[in-house]
Amino acid sequence: MSVPRILRCHPGIGPRVQGKAIAASDNFSVRYDLDYRRGIFGRPGHALHGVSYVGFILVLNAAKGGVASAWMLQELVTIGKAPLALVLNDANPVLVQGAAFANLPLVDRFAIDVTGAIATGDELIDDPQAGEVHILGAA
Amino acid sequence: MKLNDLEKAMLAGEHGEAARWALELQVRVGEFFDARDFVEVRMVQLSSDIEVVGASGLAFLRRMAALPPAERRLRAFATADARGFDSVAYSRLLPGRDLSGEMDHVVEALVALGAVPTHATANYHSVLPLGYGQHGAFSGTPQVIYANSVQGARCNFEAGPAGIAAMFTGRVPRYGFHLDRARAGTRLFRLEFAPESATDWGAVGAIIGRRTGSYSAVPVIDGVGERPDALALSHLGVALASYGSTGLFHLVGVTPEAPTVEAAFGGRPVPEAEAVTRAALDAFYAAWPGRNAKLDAVVLGAPQLSYRELCELADLLQGRHIHADTLLLAYTAEDVKEMCARQGIVQAIEAAGGMVVHGLCFFQIFAREVREANGWNCLMSQSVKMANLTAGFGYHTVPATLERCVESAIAGRVS
Repeated sequence: MSVPRILRCHPGIGPRVQGKAIAASDNFSVRYDLDYRRGIFGRPGHALHGVSYVGFILVLNAAKGGVASAWMLQELVTIGKAPLALVLNDANPVLVQGAAFANLPLVDRFAIDVTGAIATGDELIDDPQAGEVHILGAA
Repeated sequence: MKLNDLEKAMLAGEHGEAARWALELQVRVGEFFDARDFVEVRMVQLSSDIEVVGASGLAFLRRMAALPPAERRLRAFATADARGFDSVAYSRLLPGRDLSGEMDHVVEALVALGAVPTHATANYHSVLPLGYGQHGAFSGTPQVIYANSVQGARCNFEAGPAGIAAMFTGRVPRYGFHLDRARAGTRLFRLEFAPESATDWGAVGAIIGRRTGSYSAVPVIDGVGERPDALALSHLGVALASYGSTGLFHLVGVTPEAPTVEAAFGGRPVPEAEAVTRAALDAFYAAWPGRNAKLDAVVLGAPQLSYRELCELADLLQGRHIHADTLLLAYTAEDVKEMCARQGIVQAIEAAGGMVVHGLCFFQIFAREVREANGWNCLMSQSVKMANLTAGFGYHTVPATLERCVESAIAGRVS
């Protein structure tokens, strides 16, 4: 097995998790990009339109506005329609507050463009407290 | 984070369970953003419409409300905009679903907690403006960016549970736009044309928001000719927030922290200006095609229409009638609707076939379900924010001036 590549970031929120990544360079809004009833990206034009996100580690660029996201992450967790974790280049307060409320793993502020460093299908360990994302295996 | 004695006592549960929960949440958020301490807030605005609060959020609010009063004492005056739902309009838009009952549950829980239910979402229009330099905990993106930029107040987005937490603690983590150093400009844009409408100002916000794309970016806009009014500034702000997650902008010669370009950058080097051209504006509108498409509805709001806009709408509709296959929905605050009704303005709009809908805006209430229930596809709006958000629900929404929206509603097709 190859040595995991470790990406360092600012310490984040939530527990350490392991799972597969879905990555794109688009921005992200929980409320306006997801069709949470179906568990897919619902916004036409988004790079992940139609893709099921439930249980995956989402790797995207920046959080977009939309205060509604702060409540919705907890609701997604409750109804079983949440991603496993969020890995962004640049989070905003709304998403951070929502992640803190839902105890959903969230990290941001890498030294590199994280959407270019992680590919869809990569197996990751996301460790928010350590401020690290481990790429265990490439897609 | 550095905590004072009161904050340590809150965290230890000595001021009740609600304050303990709230401060714990705020510390986690504050540490994420490297906040060194807390700042007290003058007021809190909560954004808690039923669709996004969800069953889990409502259960949380009820658990908090069920605590003994000593366990859930408020430390800040708070307003809630969960009120203001137009059950009459939505019995037509989404028949068979008792949305008013669902909304009432959220309102009851927030009122039980001590929040004051207002009837507006854009409450800087009529309720409790913050003054220059005052700190607040506002949930709504329109409220935050307007308070920061136009009023010179100090706010971050304090969304959902973060607003509830601020209500219990009377403070928020001191990071982001509570810090002077974070309020200085980071990008300079030079406006090379004169926006002619509030919609144009929204388009300017969308163009710049897409370029900045970060909450920590603070755009400074120079080259403004005639000073924009409050409506134009409001549309500029909501579009910046919607397309770019922006929480603060400076308009040189207009907003209070930008008397000059140099002042807007807080003494830091002024970067090279990036042009915002007429061609960029034209390209923005051209990206929303649809001329002659069948028009299902014109949705006016985002932010809610002001008294002046409703007067303009009534004037544009005078002696005319909206096409039978098109709905015109004008969203406004309940108090504005009541004022307009007293003056016959609501009746004039309704006589032309329009609906004046009070309370939460179109995009805030099950807009995806409304599309599915009515088989809608094509909308128009005077708000470029509305166009952006409804696209997320599968609509094709053409942004256009109020005048063009009305002409299209009468023709039944995108003009």
